[in-house]
Amino acid sequence: MTGYDDYLAGEPVIITVALTGGVHGKEATPNLPETPAEVAAAAADAEAAGASIAHLHARKPNGERSFATERFQELTDAVRETTDLVVQHSTGGTGAPLEARRQPLRTDPAPEMASLDMGPLNRYRHLTSENPRAMVDTLYDEMADRGIKPELEAFNDGHVNEVHGLLDRRDLAEPYHTTLIFGGGTLTPARPRNLLNAVRNLPTGATFNTLGFGQHQLPFATLGTILGGHVRVGLEDNVYFERGERAASNAQLVGRVADMARTLGREPATPDEARELLGL
Amino acid sequence: MTCPHLEYRAAEFADTDRAYCTVVDEFVEPMRADICNDRFDLSHAEHCEFYREAEGLDAGADDEPEAEP
Repeated sequence: MTGYDDYLAGEPVIITVALTGGVHGKEATPNLPETPAEVAAAAADAEAAGASIAHLHARKPNGERSFATERFQELTDAVRETTDLVVQHSTGGTGAPLEARRQPLRTDPAPEMASLDMGPLNRYRHLTSENPRAMVDTLYDEMADRGIKPELEAFNDGHVNEVHGLLDRRDLAEPYHTTLIFGGGTLTPARPRNLLNAVRNLPTGATFNTLGFGQHQLPFATLGTILGGHVRVGLEDNVYFERGERAASNAQLVGRVADMARTLGREPATPDEARELLGL
Repeated sequence: MTCPHLEYRAAEFADTDRAYCTVVDEFVEPMRADICNDRFDLSHAEHCEFYREAEGLDAGADDEPEAEP
């Protein structure tokens, strides 16, 4: 279990950079990378700024999201050419069927990690990202078959229950790397006390990322760092650097939390340190 | 079927034409393009609040965009 003692011990902080996402595109900010070349360049800059994991979504040439193995292959090859980052493919996908969700797991080589959404969440006004347990189990089983470590994404406290349920149903290896997500809508309300509760509710043997959407990105990354956790930042989750000022790049957001972590006494983990901490 | 309110237009920020919603006069988020094009059994008539408002069905476009980790 991570905790304040880990913070005091100065354990390196793993910074995951969520470079592009699958929801918004360059219409939200032209600084968001979409093509494999753009993502690879942004990943290299983020690595230099202190990131150790790249969370990847693939796009079609016109910027629309893609789940195709071929698109992920092109993307992951480009990122591996330019960086030593731990590669983490997204399996998230509102409205997309299971067969599409499995496609990002089938690149060669397999990604070292993949996201696994732990339950449903609302989208827009008429959509739900369903993520029923049968889908979670099927995605997990394919990850296990391919040696891919899941990143367990808990959008709210109920999803923390689902983490415990998955541990009951399946034999996951420690540490169980989770991401605790804070913001509006279906997410856990972004209040510091809720992060404390969520951390307390995690299973023994878990590590956690702290992910705050939008304006909550920096404060929740800071809170998570003090609680001995790890952080995820990037243009997928937040396109602003300050109120009213768009971020110039993913690296700018990574660099800010890397500086924050150093100020608080924790060095950003190198990719190999992240591999060791996560048991990859 | 593709949404009747959808066009693909050139954008300064992209090399290829991108989905453009003529109801809200904005380029479409990549995920919303799945709805515009009825991909994955999504339906603009059922799932898009902008289409529904334009067609005189129920309205309500007050949601914030959210990331999809």
